[in-house]
This record gives sequence, structure tokens and C-alpha cells, in this order.
Amino acid sequence: MKLRAMLWFLLAIGVAAACGIQFTASGRVPVQTNLLALLPPTERNPVAEGAVARLADAAGNRAVFLIGEKRSDVAASAARAFATQLLESGAFRNVVADIPLVDPKQFTALYLQHRYSLLTEIDRRALASGHADLAGRLQRKLYTPFRFGLSLSPTDDPFGFTDAWLAGLPIRTLKLEPENGLLVTRDAERSWVFVTAELSGSAYDGAIQQRVGEAVVRAESTLRQLAPEAAVLRTGTVFYANAARQSAEREVDLIGAGSLLGMLLLLYIVFRSLRPLALGLLSVGFGIGTAVAVTVAVHGEMHLITLVFGASLIGEAIDYAVQYFAAHLGAGKDWEPMAGLRRIAPGLTVALATSLLGYGVLLLAPFPALSQIALFAFVGLGAAWLSVFLLLPALLVRPSRRDADAAVAGTRYLLVWWQARMSKRLCLILAALLLVVAAPGWLRLSGNDDVRLLVARPAELVAQEEKFRELTGFGNSSQFFLIEAETSDAVLAREEQLATRLNGLVTQGEVSGFQGISSFVPSLSRQEENHRLWQDQVFADTTALKALFVRSELQDDVAITQLTSFEASAGQALRLDDWLKAPLSAPFRHLWLGQTAGGFATIVLPQGVRDVAPLADAAVGLSGVTLVDKTGSVSRLFNDYRQWGALWLIGACTLVFAVLCVRYSWQQAAVTLIPTLLAMALALGILGYLRAPFTLFNLMALMLVLGVGVNYAIFLREGGMHAAATLAGVLLSAGTTLLSFGLLAFSSMPALSGFGLTLLIGIGIAVLLAPSVLSFSGRDAP
Amino acid sequence: MRWVTLFFLLPMSVQALSAESDTLSRIGAQMEQHPMVRADFIQSKQMPALKRPLVTSGRLVYSRRHGVLWQIEQPYRMSYVLGEDRIIEIAADGTRRERGLRDVPGLAQVGRVFRAMLGANTAALRDLFEVSVQGSPEKWEIDLKPRQAQLAQFLSGLQLSGGHYLESIRISEAGGETTQIRFRNTQGGGVPNEAELQLFGGEVGKP
Repeated sequence: MKLRAMLWFLLAIGVAAACGIQFTASGRVPVQTNLLALLPPTERNPVAEGAVARLADAAGNRAVFLIGEKRSDVAASAARAFATQLLESGAFRNVVADIPLVDPKQFTALYLQHRYSLLTEIDRRALASGHADLAGRLQRKLYTPFRFGLSLSPTDDPFGFTDAWLAGLPIRTLKLEPENGLLVTRDAERSWVFVTAELSGSAYDGAIQQRVGEAVVRAESTLRQLAPEAAVLRTGTVFYANAARQSAEREVDLIGAGSLLGMLLLLYIVFRSLRPLALGLLSVGFGIGTAVAVTVAVHGEMHLITLVFGASLIGEAIDYAVQYFAAHLGAGKDWEPMAGLRRIAPGLTVALATSLLGYGVLLLAPFPALSQIALFAFVGLGAAWLSVFLLLPALLVRPSRRDADAAVAGTRYLLVWWQARMSKRLCLILAALLLVVAAPGWLRLSGNDDVRLLVARPAELVAQEEKFRELTGFGNSSQFFLIEAETSDAVLAREEQLATRLNGLVTQGEVSGFQGISSFVPSLSRQEENHRLWQDQVFADTTALKALFVRSELQDDVAITQLTSFEASAGQALRLDDWLKAPLSAPFRHLWLGQTAGGFATIVLPQGVRDVAPLADAAVGLSGVTLVDKTGSVSRLFNDYRQWGALWLIGACTLVFAVLCVRYSWQQAAVTLIPTLLAMALALGILGYLRAPFTLFNLMALMLVLGVGVNYAIFLREGGMHAAATLAGVLLSAGTTLLSFGLLAFSSMPALSGFGLTLLIGIGIAVLLAPSVLSFSGRDAP
Repeated sequence: MRWVTLFFLLPMSVQALSAESDTLSRIGAQMEQHPMVRADFIQSKQMPALKRPLVTSGRLVYSRRHGVLWQIEQPYRMSYVLGEDRIIEIAADGTRRERGLRDVPGLAQVGRVFRAMLGANTAALRDLFEVSVQGSPEKWEIDLKPRQAQLAQFLSGLQLSGGHYLESIRISEAGGETTQIRFRNTQGGGVPNEAELQLFGGEVGKP
């Protein structure tokens, strides 16, 4: 007994040291807030998976603001002051309100140089079919009363082909407009100035989240003094991640403290002694501590969702200790620690086995979120169970001073009542009745596989983001095309094939537009084709061309300039590398993924996507082109897991039945399992009546209902002559478990709240039905 | 585009600046009377690439409600409708080509001026131009110089002159082109006739 306790203390010291090292290394629990880190790799192509991460980073490491005021000059000065203050806070690497003035000549210089290799799609088709209409084009160029910013002089572009090319560049996709050196947009009430801030590190870094949060709060309060009527809209991954962390920390505190206090209170009410409280805390503390240490050691960090879930595990980890305390109480003066342990050991072990079966399957899932939670539960429950075997016998030596009969008088009455009234027959009728009540609820269940189940999105941030999108036109689609080929030019050529199809979708209104590099740099073969069309359709007959210029009263040097620059343009195609170096490519460079393992890759971002199906169709049959839809893949994966999980649940029920058969006859095993199965069936029905969406996480919860619920029946059956004390223990365990999971139902993370709700309902019913095993056990009442 | 915009908006822009000058406010008031104006125009455009100035003539219809209709009659027929957020080009055979102001790089800036003034946004106008006025409400000249570098890249200045109505506009562009437009037979009042409404497309500048 002493030896066991010593072993426990050694383990406990080891765990404490491990936790200590992990926390001092990072200064805090290494908590991960990135949703992507929780999701399994869904793409078969590693380049696609990399592109997903890269796009998320490009968007994630920025925070953007709109400062709005009725008067545009006030909005401008307020935005500049806001940006300065943010920059001075040191939380950002860079904050920009003022935009560099774009010199249109610098902008057009690159394309002017390569103009004879460029043509818009429409012009290319017109020239290819011989409808050059040079005279008409020249006339329009000269006479049009409307001249645009990016237009070349008649000397450089007499037919407007290059003007059309420049106008066709997809550079204006946002509603923001340059004004007084700022980017501005307007709605009915305000003039909004755009401010963009680059984080000094990852948006998922807790320290950065905190500094950014504080800097923004300070800048906003300064802004209120400067311009009391100004409004600020902000959006960015960092704000969501920060909110998620804060709400998770609040929830961990609430659930942890709530279930701990409730547990202690319940323990005291039943045992009227401080010793079980202290021992219970030790056992649970050891369990949770070991779970944290092992999880961090294995995964290097803990995800928020694991942390919140972990807080709710307290209520379950205490169960094993509670059973021991109940045995202690029930034994009264005859208490002998090791004999007591021996008596409850089989029940505890079967209970642990069923719980571990429930979680064990999640451990195998190739899904970081689930396997991390499972590992945490596995280790936590195992350690709590071990505590009962190693520690408690040494520390709970003296018999209970409390009169066992008085302590369990209430539960004894309940037992007597149950056995007097609930015959086997009545139990069966009750079971049938419950199934009839539950059945209509099953039909109302509807599945939900949305990836957003995993994130708490504060309504206020979502509203700001929506307003932001409305004002700026920023896209929200998570789909993109990945284009791969062996050479960079082949990538562009493939993208052009895709672009032709996407242009069709734009015409049909399926997408509002798309961004891709080939809109800025055509493939070399396309450029050669363009150059040939210029040669054949424009410069083939130089005499006619000169005559046209003379007729139109253009200066003599226009014809000379045109002919000499065209001659010089042979073989001078626009190279991708030159474009990537030019300043005008800056906003689009992230589209080019560059060299990959298999060659080169780029992405095309569709905008204003209404439906994914036509996009998927657009990629069909184009080699090297894949539609990457991370949200869609994750949802499909959730769906697969849900289907697969339902099968596993049936399998798990069979397995639990098999485990029970090892200890009991098959009839008694069935009797032990049936109350839990009924609880699961009823829980499903109630979820249906509540119109709660049925998700993968509800299914996970049902597996736990199976693992935990069956424990109560086992404990009661094993209780035998101490049944009243055991029932008190079971009710106590159920109380603590319901408290923890019930608190989890209030989590802001939809996945966890659905999980908690299902457990609350399922375990609640399981414990109410558990005494029915006594009606069938054939043993005598106490 | 630029000058059409400014012409179109002049009544309001002048009124917007009325606080600065009594003359301006009176010019504004007399021009504001007419929600609808028709005039003949002759435009002469000097371009470095051309040996001779390019001369076009035609008719202008300004409707506060529908926008601006610029109909070139000589040397060839072509019409342009300038609405709040788009330009429509209508060829002699009736084919329409439409462009949103936002789709065209650089045009949004001008569109901004356009919309700001349409909403009588005096702050935006003062943001954009330095304004000087000479003469009396019976015979006046207004000089506009862009304040913003963004606009100055395209436009070096605008001179407007007139009496009861606007009589001439002179636009000097940064690239060396100058455009002179004279208006004659100006008539205020009335409503757009059916042909004009059809050209406006019935949608442009819908209230």
C-alpha cells in the first residue's frame, strides 16, 4: 500500500515537472488557435495543401480597418492619426493609410514596350477573323470625347488595341478609390478611409494577439477624442483568433471552476467529510495534469477546443474516486482499504475499458482535432483510474465515521421504491414507450457538416466583416484553381484554357470575375499568336497604313514611329520574370506559387462565386488544373466521418457488449447495456425535437454516452449488498459529469456546445434508467 | 469625360462655392433654374499627333435626372450617354456599348468628382480644385486648377466662361492636348423627347 502510494507520488512529481518545463519553455500553456491546424490534410496534392496555407497566411497576417466619418476631410485626418498611433504601438510591422501615387506612365511603360505581343480576347478574335476595321478604330481613338486615365497617345496606340488591353486588366476589383493619397469608399452616411496593417508575426501567436488587441483599443479611444462621430470597422484573422482565445479561456475558467466547485459541493453533501474532497482533487488533478503533459509532449501544443473539452473532463475523471468513496461509506466500520479496492476493482476496470473504447476510436481518426481530444481523455481517465488504485488505499485507511445507513437513507428509499414498483414487465413497457416517444424525433434530425462548427465567430466581428465586404468588395470565397505544369510558360498556357471557360462563367453570371497571372502576362505561344495577328492584319500592307494615317491628318512621324517600333518588337515578348519584378505586379504576386516539386504552379482566384458546381465543371478535362475547395473538402470529410462514425457507434455497442459478456452472462450483459442504448435513442430523439443540427460532434458525444452511461449500470450491478451506497456514488458521479458537460453546452464553439448538450441529455437519461438493471439482476435488495 | 462631367455639374458646383463669392452664387442660381438644357456645340481639339485641330459638332442634352447626352453629328454620327456609374457609346446604327465607370482604370477618379458633385458634395469639390472667378453674373469666367496630384496627372486646368448659360469650356490636359468647346443656341427647360429618352436608355440617372 505504501509502495503504491510512493509510486503515485513519483509519477505525480514527474507530471508536475513535465508541465512545469512545458509552461516555462513557452511562458504559458502552448495553445493553438488556428483552425487549419485542427483539420486533416484534405487535398491529395501537397502543392494544393501548401497553397491553402499560403493563401491563409497572406490573408491572415494582415488586419484591415475602415475609418468612417461624415466629412471626408475629417475621415482622412482621423485615418492618418489612427494609422500613426497603431504604428507607434509597435504591435505591427507596418501600418499604411497613405498609398503611393501611381504614375500612370510608369504603369503603362511595361505594356507599351511589349504592346505588339498583346491583344484582348475580343480584339484577337476580331483580327483573326479579318475584321480589323483599322480606319474605324483610328477614328474612334481620335474623336472620342471620353479619354481614360490609362490610355496611350495616338502616336503610340493609334488603333486603341493597347488601350483596350490596359482597360481589360483585372486590377480594379475593389470598390476602393484613390483620393488625396488615401483609399476611400463611400456609403450613404459616411466617407470611409482604408487602413491596412501588417502583423509583426503570426495571427495565431497569443502574444501578438494580445498586443494587437491592446493597440487597437487604445487607437480607437484616441480616435473617439479626435473625431467623436467617427466609426471604425475592422477585420482580420487576428481578431477572430484573439476572440476565440479569449472566449475559450473564459469558458475554461467557467467550466473548470463550475464543475470543480459543484463537484466538491456534491462530494461534501454525500460524504460530509473534507478527506474525500482533498483526495478527489488529487486524483482529478493528477489525471488532468498527466493529460496536459502527454498531449503537449505528443502534439507540441494544445488546441483551444481540447482545452475547453479538457475542463469538462474533470466531472468524468472524478468518477473512479467517487466509487471508492462510496464503497468506503457503504462499508461503514468494516472498512479495510485493500479489500474495498479489490471489491470495486473489476467494476472500475470494466468502466475504464468502456470509456476508453468510446474515446479510443477517436484516437485512431486521422483528424487532429478528434485525436487530440481522444488522447487527452485517454490519458486523463487512465491516470485518474490509476490514482484510485495507487493512492487512495493509502490515504483512506480509517473507516468512515459517518453512519452509512443515515448517509444513504435517501438512495435506499429510492432503491426500495424502484424494486417494489418496477417489475421486469414494467421496465420493458417503459422501454417500448420511450422508443415510441423518441422515434418521431429521429425523423427530424438533419445533418450539418460545416467547418465553422469548430470556430466561435462573435456576432459583432462577423457584422463588421460583412459591412467591410459590402463597402470594399473584398471577396469571401475560399475556392481557387491550382494550375500546374512543367514549365512556367506551360502553366500560363493552361491557365489561358481555364480563363476561356471562366470568361464563359462570367458571362453567365456564375462568377463576377477572376484573378490570374495570365490576364497580365499571356503565355509565349499566345503572345506569338498576337504578334502574328499584328503582322498580318495591321502591318502587312504598310502602304495602306501610311495612306490611312495621311488621310486622318496624323503627323508624318506617327507612321514612322509605328513601323520602326513594330520592327523592333520581333521576339520581344513580355516575360513573366519581368512582370513579377515590375511594381504593378505587387498586388498579384501571391498568385504565382513559383517552382514546386513537380514543376511550376500558380493559382486563379474566382470572385463573387455563387455556386461551386460550375467551377468544378470548369476544371474538368483540363490537365494540371484542379479546383481546390478547402471548406468543401473539410465538409465532405466531416460528412464521411459522420457516416463512418455511425457505423462505428454500432460496432462500439457490440464491442461493449462483448466486454460485458466477459464478466456477465449474455442476458445480464444485455440488461446492463440496454438502459444506455435507450438513453442514446432518446437523446437522438430529443435532439431532433430541439431541431439541433446533427453533427460529427453529436456522434462523438453519443460514443461517450455509451462509454459513461454503461458505467452506471456496471457500478450498480457490482454494488451488490452495498447497492444503496453505490447508487449514491452513481448519482454523485452522474451529478459531477452532468455539471461539467452541461456547462460545456453553453460553449460558444458550436461543436463543443452540441457535444455538451448531447452528453447532458444522454447521460442524464442513462443515469435515470440505470436502476433498471436491479429489476433484472435477481439479487436481493439491501 | 472630364469636361463633360464638369459642364454637367457646373450649376451645382458653382452654387457649392457660393459662400466664397457673391458672383459665384448668382451665376449658380441662374444656372440652377433649368433641370434640362439643350445646346449646339462645336469642339476643337488640338493633339500633338495631329497636323490640324480636330473639329466635331453636334448637340448636347443635359437632364438633371437622366444625365448627359453628347451627340456628335459631324464628321460622323456617334452618341455618348454619361450616367452616374456608366458610359454608353451608341453608334449610328444604334449598337450600344456600355462600360461601368468602375471598370475603367483612372476613370473612377473622375467618376468620383462626378458623383460627389451630383450630391452637391461641396467638400469634395473644394478638395479637387482651386477656384477663381472673374466678371459679373452677366459675363463671367471661372478658372479651375486641380489640387490633387492624382487628377493633375491627367488635367492641368479648366476654364469656363458664360453669361446666363455656359458659353465655352477650355480643357488643358497634362499630355499637351487642349480642347475648346463653344455652345450656341442654348435653351433651358422642357423635358426629354422620346428619341432622347430612348438614347438615355430610360435608366440612366434614374431618381
